[in-house]
Amino acid sequence: MGQRSGVGLVELAILEALDERRARPGGRPVSCEKLLAALEGELGLARGYAYQVVIDLAQEWKLPVPLVEGRGNFGGRGNDAPASPRYTEARLSPVGQVVLAAERGEIAPVPVGMINGNTHREGIRPPFRPAAVIDAVRQVLRRPRLPGSQISGIVGPPDFITGCTVTGDLAALAAGQHAELGLHARVTVTSAAHVRDRVTKAAIPGNQPPGFTRDPSRPVIVIDKFPPYSNPDEILLSIADRAQGHDWHSRHPELGALTRLPIKDVADLTTARGGYWFACLPADGTPPQVLRDQLLKVHGVSIYLTTRLPQPLPVMIRTWTRSNHDEDLPGSLTALENALASRRQTRLAECY
Amino acid sequence: MNVEAPGIGGVAPAGSEFPVVVLAAAVLAAEQVSGVLVGSAALWLRGEPVSVGDVDVVIEPGEANLRRLHDALAGLAVRPAAVPAVHRLRDVSVATIFSSYGRVDCMLERGRCDWESLRQNAGYVAVADVRVLVASAADAWELRARFRKW
Repeated sequence: MGQRSGVGLVELAILEALDERRARPGGRPVSCEKLLAALEGELGLARGYAYQVVIDLAQEWKLPVPLVEGRGNFGGRGNDAPASPRYTEARLSPVGQVVLAAERGEIAPVPVGMINGNTHREGIRPPFRPAAVIDAVRQVLRRPRLPGSQISGIVGPPDFITGCTVTGDLAALAAGQHAELGLHARVTVTSAAHVRDRVTKAAIPGNQPPGFTRDPSRPVIVIDKFPPYSNPDEILLSIADRAQGHDWHSRHPELGALTRLPIKDVADLTTARGGYWFACLPADGTPPQVLRDQLLKVHGVSIYLTTRLPQPLPVMIRTWTRSNHDEDLPGSLTALENALASRRQTRLAECY
Repeated sequence: MNVEAPGIGGVAPAGSEFPVVVLAAAVLAAEQVSGVLVGSAALWLRGEPVSVGDVDVVIEPGEANLRRLHDALAGLAVRPAAVPAVHRLRDVSVATIFSSYGRVDCMLERGRCDWESLRQNAGYVAVADVRVLVASAADAWELRARFRKW
């Protein structure tokens, strides 16, 4: 990986290629087909592989700090696949430009690799909140002997961007040990009136409140804020399928009771602005909390990742800061913050 | 994974709070797919202190069983179109599907090579009201040591 940013070498090659073509923030993006042809010609990177990396670098629900800005259909969180590279364009994001400047020695190093992690590509290093990592480095610069527990406290738990809940042995993770992290969508028991209000507020033409909202006091389960690496379209199919009966249910009623979801109706109320959200109406006589607990166990509503940091978190921050302390770290951190602000990195939790 | 009791191995009812993915193995058994559960799910059902990430099932070779497996996977998979056809199941080493319970790896090559020995040491464990054929802890550990990344 790049020594001065922690960004992977293939990612850096893509950023370099964009910069060489003047596809910079605010500038004219370059056709992805031309970009991929150049990467194949110059570095031998196969187009399909390189395109997947370009897409990953641009998808805002996967990376706390996207390094590429995509134009055109770069794919969605569900079954919406990215368009052919003939129809998409890309340019550096402001943070991508800062990463290149750090790698070229124009500014001091930036901890972007530490922030983004690599779980988005099935790695084991989770992402962290950008402002928290920057703050921790600043604190260590000011107080090199800052206790490890305080450094871990400043960085906080991994941050998976979409607003999903993170569970697991966070202390083990911070100590540099293997930790199984659970990422859970938000599953809330609410009322049909709330669902109706939310649909009305979203005000998307054609998106009508479902029929069951006519009885405003009816309990409804709402699922939103899905984990970043799960496919909400597939989750919806899973939930609908699990509400159906199967031949073996009569032979194995106990297993049937464990696996069948007591759902009367399920509605996909996803909107472009509001992100993915589903509403489930419990079957008659099913306490909503029971259905809520069962929904939380559906794969995708909850996913589990094996994670591990290369060193204990405080050691990582301290070592990185110490090894670069003779450079203008405050300056590069400010440049990174400005780049984040200029992208108007609003928290996507609201959207996803 | 056979549902009927064969008379070898004991039935050790597991607790009611199964890791969700274990239910996928029970569904395969309920669909009358013949196989031996191995991997972390098998170890968990054998009372070993492991975390269960997915389900690994060694599938008994044989045309009729592969047909049952195909149909069961098509019912389990979130993307039924991704389930290999029966003629592909005869050749592939592992068929992986994602279900609403989690990831299911069907180990077909291992079944073609080691079915008899795995079957001999396996025993039935109750998952809800389904009896799932589970590899012995020694076999499960041995396979895990051979294939695990870390």
